[in-house]
Amino acid sequence: MERATTLKRSDPWVRLWLGAGFLTLLAGFYFALSAPPDANQGWLVRIMYIHVPTAWVGYLAFFGCLYYSVAYVIRRKEHYDRMAAVSAELGLIFLGLAIFTGSLWGRPTWGVYWTWDPRLTTTAILFVVYVGYFVLRAAIEDPELRAKAAAGVGILGSINVPISYMSVVWWRSLHQIQSINLMTGRVTIAPPMLLALMVNLAAFSLLFIGIARLRGQIALREALLEEEP
Amino acid sequence: MEALLEARQVSKRYGREWVLRRIELSLKPGGIVALVGPNGSGKTTLLYVLAGLLRPTRGSVLRRGQVGLLSSPPAFYRHFTGEENLLFQLRLSGLEQRRREIPELLARVGLPLGKRVFEYSSGMKKRLGLAQLLLFRPAILLLDEPEAALDAQGQELIEVLLHEQTQSGGGVVLATHDPRWWGRAEACLTLERRR
Amino acid sequence: MIGQAPKPRLLARSFWLAWRDLVLELRGRSGLLAAVFFLATVLLILGLALGPAPRQLAQAAPGVLWVALALAGSLLANRAFGLEVEDGTLEQLLLLPGEREWIYFGKLLFQFSLQVSVGLVLLVLTAGLFYLPLAAWPGIILTLVLGSLGYASISTFYAGLLVRLRGREVLLPLLLFPLVVPVVLAAVRATAGLAQGDWSEVGAWWRLLGSFDVIYVTVCALLFPGILEGG
Repeated sequence: MERATTLKRSDPWVRLWLGAGFLTLLAGFYFALSAPPDANQGWLVRIMYIHVPTAWVGYLAFFGCLYYSVAYVIRRKEHYDRMAAVSAELGLIFLGLAIFTGSLWGRPTWGVYWTWDPRLTTTAILFVVYVGYFVLRAAIEDPELRAKAAAGVGILGSINVPISYMSVVWWRSLHQIQSINLMTGRVTIAPPMLLALMVNLAAFSLLFIGIARLRGQIALREALLEEEP
Repeated sequence: MEALLEARQVSKRYGREWVLRRIELSLKPGGIVALVGPNGSGKTTLLYVLAGLLRPTRGSVLRRGQVGLLSSPPAFYRHFTGEENLLFQLRLSGLEQRRREIPELLARVGLPLGKRVFEYSSGMKKRLGLAQLLLFRPAILLLDEPEAALDAQGQELIEVLLHEQTQSGGGVVLATHDPRWWGRAEACLTLERRR
Repeated sequence: MIGQAPKPRLLARSFWLAWRDLVLELRGRSGLLAAVFFLATVLLILGLALGPAPRQLAQAAPGVLWVALALAGSLLANRAFGLEVEDGTLEQLLLLPGEREWIYFGKLLFQFSLQVSVGLVLLVLTAGLFYLPLAAWPGIILTLVLGSLGYASISTFYAGLLVRLRGREVLLPLLLFPLVVPVVLAAVRATAGLAQGDWSEVGAWWRLLGSFDVIYVTVCALLFPGILEGG
């Protein structure tokens, strides 16, 4: 068992990441609001400043989950399992937000709530994989079995993403469907908009790292409540 | 002499509860170790950990030989006959040529041929389990309450098995409520329930 | 005399495990028959929902076939380790020395055989009810084989993962379906191409299926021993 270092009430690194994240978010907010509206979409384009970062963080989290799942399979340390679950949790939240904001953006802009766009479809599949991940974790009480099972699902689900993506791309290209690029749409990116987007991306990333670390520590404290033999 | 089986600081946790706590055990060739304790004290769990079917949460188990396990109740494929079950085990081990020994073995433990296991009584299943152990002769025998469901004749079979096993340098770990076996063992490990 | 330690032989063990499962499946367990009848009913319902115009039915045929196969795979997976659950015999398999990949391969072979067999039955039914053209039947069967292997690779893995869990009837499809999307997609498109005599995409889809099979069988076989109880 890892000798737990004494946890201070709030770890300085957490404060650093979250602090930096919030400050950057404020800046991002300012830039987003001061950026000009898009030629085609008007003020609606502002949803992009939230939608793109949430999708980005969602995929960051997915990579995190994959990394920690593989690490657990190799090393079998409880820490890796905890962090895999934390990543998956954040991934679930952010991907859900991404799909939701994408939908919100899509309806007034292009008239549809959903397109069978490769990115969106793959994101939806990944979302369902994560839901399954958590239902599985909830169904197993023994921590060791749970960690092993979750790692299996995490790895299989993750390697599925590129394959699914490719197959949906082929599927659509055969029917020559115009692809609505949900990342930027038919938006011409002017420099101020790009700046706002980048700043928000950075803000969300910093917040993600901070939240992940904090959440991981909470999970560690929960685990420490268990007695020694 | 090197021990056939060694458990060092073995602890096993299920969820929040520690079922096994810092178990130490050493089984020497020709030796018998008895596991004693009330129901629910973790005897079966310990046997499974010793067999390698469960991983200990802490500690380690060292095995220097093949392991045979007789569970309580013993597990067989119900829709196969007794001899088909044994034949399947032989095939998995690449020992199919020994299938001739099966009818004789079943006769020895007092089992009829041609009967599917779902028709067996619990005593008969035990005997089939003993037959399997006699067939494969693993170096390490782990028996979980072997005396349960067996009549006097069946108990004798256990005696015979133990005798043959220890004579040929194998070892036995025996979880049992029957005091007669406690005396036969060189070491008794007593397990308690936490609550 | 202490017996010799069994010599581990991976292929032989996998074969005998699959053989035993198939024999026992045919010998007494009527669940398989019930599953086939259920799937036939699904085809009937879909036929009623999508028909009766033959052209529409024929167009829907590849999709219908593979939806039914996806359901079939999920039902069959519940039976993959069914014997081990019912009879409690997983331990005896685990006691054998040597690496445990053979348990996965044996079960995979078992599931794959069942799935292809059920698939052939469904193929015949779909040809009848949905007017699926069978002129290119060797290609369609190849698609069936490739798709079933990919599907079974995952369903077997998850069946083993969930073997002792109680909620597994719902959990298995939930975990399974998102992962088999590429398989179903590729298989449907390949079958549609073959049915229409249009071979342009078929090769590409077969390659996708082939790569999927190789990747997933490998990864699942590597991970499987680790997720078993004593692993």
